[in-house]
Amino acid sequence: MLAGAEIACHKARMKCGRERSGGVTRRGVLAGAAATGLAACTTRRDPNALRLWAMSYEGDYSPHLMPAFTRATGIPVEVQSLPWTAAHEKLLTAHAGGALPDVMMLPNGWVGEFALVGAIAPVTDGALLADLFPATLATVEHRGVSHAVPWSVAPQVQFYRRDLLADAGYDAPPEDWAGWREMGRRLKRRRPDDYAFLMLLNWWDALFTFASQTGTSLLRERDTRGNFRNPAFREALAFYRSLFDEGLAPPIVSTEMQDPLAAFAQGYFTIYPSGPSLLLDLHRRRSEIAADRWGVARMPGPRGPGPVSGVSAALAVSRTSTRPDAAWALVRHMTSAATELRFQTLIGNLPARRSAWSDPQLTAPALAPFAAQMLDLSVDPNIVEWERVRIEVQLIAERVVRHLMTIDEGLATMDRRVDQLLAKRRALVQAGKLA
Amino acid sequence: MTRQERAAWMFTAPVLAIILLVLVLPTVLALALSVTDYSLYALADWSNLGFVGFGNFTDLARTPLFWRSLGNTALFALLGVPAAIGLSLATALLLDAKTVRWKPLWRVLLFAPYVTSVVATAVVWRFLLNTRFGLVNYALGWVGIGPVDWLGDPHASIPAILIFVTWKIFGYNMIVFTAALSAVPGDLMEAARLDGAGRWARFRHVTLPAIGPTLLLAAVMSVAGFLQIFAEPYVMTLGGPAQSTTTVLYFMYQEGFTWWNLGRASAVAFVLFVLILILTFVQARIGRRYEWL
Amino acid sequence: MAVKVSRLRIGAILTNALVAVLTLVVTLPLAWMVTVSFMPRGESNAFPPPFWPSRWSLENYHELLARRLIDGAWFDYRIVPAIGNSLFVAAMSTLLGLLLTVPAGYAFAKLRFRGRERLLKLLIASLVVPGQVAMLPLFLIFKQLGLINSYAGVILPSLAGIFAVLFVRQATLAIPDEMIDAARLDGASEARIFRTIVLPLLTPVTVTLALFMFLGSWNDFLWPLIVLADQHLYTLPVAVAAIAREHAADGELMMASAVVTTMPVLLLFLALQRYYIGGLLGGSIKG
Repeated sequence: MLAGAEIACHKARMKCGRERSGGVTRRGVLAGAAATGLAACTTRRDPNALRLWAMSYEGDYSPHLMPAFTRATGIPVEVQSLPWTAAHEKLLTAHAGGALPDVMMLPNGWVGEFALVGAIAPVTDGALLADLFPATLATVEHRGVSHAVPWSVAPQVQFYRRDLLADAGYDAPPEDWAGWREMGRRLKRRRPDDYAFLMLLNWWDALFTFASQTGTSLLRERDTRGNFRNPAFREALAFYRSLFDEGLAPPIVSTEMQDPLAAFAQGYFTIYPSGPSLLLDLHRRRSEIAADRWGVARMPGPRGPGPVSGVSAALAVSRTSTRPDAAWALVRHMTSAATELRFQTLIGNLPARRSAWSDPQLTAPALAPFAAQMLDLSVDPNIVEWERVRIEVQLIAERVVRHLMTIDEGLATMDRRVDQLLAKRRALVQAGKLA
Repeated sequence: MTRQERAAWMFTAPVLAIILLVLVLPTVLALALSVTDYSLYALADWSNLGFVGFGNFTDLARTPLFWRSLGNTALFALLGVPAAIGLSLATALLLDAKTVRWKPLWRVLLFAPYVTSVVATAVVWRFLLNTRFGLVNYALGWVGIGPVDWLGDPHASIPAILIFVTWKIFGYNMIVFTAALSAVPGDLMEAARLDGAGRWARFRHVTLPAIGPTLLLAAVMSVAGFLQIFAEPYVMTLGGPAQSTTTVLYFMYQEGFTWWNLGRASAVAFVLFVLILILTFVQARIGRRYEWL
Repeated sequence: MAVKVSRLRIGAILTNALVAVLTLVVTLPLAWMVTVSFMPRGESNAFPPPFWPSRWSLENYHELLARRLIDGAWFDYRIVPAIGNSLFVAAMSTLLGLLLTVPAGYAFAKLRFRGRERLLKLLIASLVVPGQVAMLPLFLIFKQLGLINSYAGVILPSLAGIFAVLFVRQATLAIPDEMIDAARLDGASEARIFRTIVLPLLTPVTVTLALFMFLGSWNDFLWPLIVLADQHLYTLPVAVAAIAREHAADGELMMASAVVTTMPVLLLFLALQRYYIGGLLGGSIKG
């Protein structure tokens, strides 16, 4: 569960790494602006203001999206930024205590949970749900009703070192597993002290991307039991482990890799599976790694690229909001194609609105793999326990990678552990209380 | 009811009522919660709450991270209590020497870390323990010890946090021991010296019996304190790396407030409660054997 | 004889030096915290670690404490309100805590009432219960009472001062019964006896206790973290922890926030250390 926090704060950590190495950061930006900025004594809360909670970068930068909204509607907005590592409990305790803000950001997989506990209101304005990628819509549904509006999409792709790949005789990474692994072997032979891939053992994203590429579903019996002992997932786990067994990826956890981007720039590894937030880091630290030295491609599948999971953030309105109309207006503003494009320039988030993708701003070659992947998104099981399931499965996968278990023991343990986690859900589904 | 009795109840009832509300009632409720499956589903709808008997406890027994958190906590206590008490006692003995000047000044300065906020000083120590730029590794470099990845290496993380905790709390027991040492009979000490007893013999046979009860009480409180470590990993390591600093309380917090499994979390709280109870009892027994109580 | 004296003197010098070095090591982190907080951005990220700022800069404090307008949007760490919140919460818990525990401690020491001994035993026994056991259900209770996300929700649990009651009781036992009995014979009411005779005698203990309570409340972390959802209500440790988790690498800024959090209580402690340490020493040592 701890790893839970660690994975949940995936982005936060990468941010730490980035800041530690002295790149340009929000603070840098702020410090520069601070000189010209106004220093006023702090005021108490504005009773007219709408309250918005968002995590990490989204929280830090959302205030920039607000002046336009306040100008148009006359409604001020107060943004509270939550650290990723404390967001889940802050939101839950706030709900339990009746202290949720009017509008909140919810990441992948939390929407169903907060809808279940009655924290967030259903989306009534159909226009908010138009112009979206179909797979993202499924993630905000609870009992067939949408409870949040997708805000940004972050499918996993691979970032690769163009120069190192060229040395090994590749223009781009092969798109199937066998070819990808063969490329890894060649890279390793050329630079035996470095690695081909970076897949941190306490983060579930790489393994789950491999699994979703196979098209298998990880749960069965209406999402009440684990389905890990199936040939497709076994193949994914075996492939995952083989990359470590052959020394193509270092068997380390995130705390042992404080600044992945610096390591990427130094050639410690060649291929870095990651999300769109890395684009911003690469742009900011272009002095360390020039733009022509890296490229982006879709993740390889068993026989060519397949679906990977993708919504990173959605916006929801609290049931307890006293001004639902104003709150929905804010959601409408923040999820408009124009605002999403502005956020893309600010922090690199990829718009969830399809129409935004026809804008010239999104035609950069580095974004093409993202655009292609957007059309091929997988759908995660929309259940309350999903976040935990991923974390616990990855913990077991780590033990498999470290040869503390065989693959088959690992798969059996995953099924057993997941069945344990889903016991309550199973009972409720059998009693007909839950879909 | 006499006048005195009426007054007594007037004086005591308010605080007793609050103790009842915020301590006794919740503790009883915790016991009740620990045999239910209170989770998000119950938060959504009370009718989803079910009775599970010892289910939470057997479930915990099958959860590897729970055992790991117990092990980590035990390690914290096993290493931390002797370190903290030892340093407190050594400092108190040092300050007790007649030749030491400006005692009040030293006492205040050595005590100062104790009154600071754990969160703020944990932030400071995270920088002191930084692998590349930290003062600790710089100082170790002088004596030829290579850089230690204090908060990143699963084997170094517990010692790292312990250095911080010991620094922060040793002043308290130092003062407590100072008070106890002042009660060591001077004539007995003088007699022992005249008998030719060495420094160690005098400590063992005169000082130790005199401060025994204080030492025992300090040990009991320290064990209880070390079993309840939470803020340090919360601020410094998030329970990592590789879950090496996940303590029982951190586990409980995650289970309860992050995942909202209050049933399981209450079961964890109870295990902790029982552990503290047993340890207190054992320590009291040991104390009685040595006639310190 | 001369040899012995000089040996004694060397011993004394060594002991004093040892104490001084130990104190230096112990206070170094706090001193370093202060000097780094005045360093210009990024200066502490160097090897060897610098101890003295190349130039004394207030930029970290400015960034931490001031609200700034950037591109028409306000940015604020909300530390200044957190200082106010912490002061208010700590002052209220101290005041109410004293009001509740000092009379109770006195009653347990000097007033005879049925069940006193049994209650006392229960209080001592309940010292062993870790507060965390009660925390989860307490949250549910406070939810029902509507105390979540309020100052009252933070303050109320800190008022269950079992330790304080026992502390006051211990101190009150030293007051001779004759004084109280004499006043009773004169027909003074119990409340009046407490106010005019007992309370003045308990003043030093009360100051000590107030200091304990204030520091305890100021530094409290876990419960405010759980109960407070709204950033406007955050106490300092909660606010600092929130910044620390996101801005881990901003050394100088974090040091400034640590200084803001620790300095008020450190100064208070230094000003009143006589009471604090005196209270712990239990009057066994003077000075």
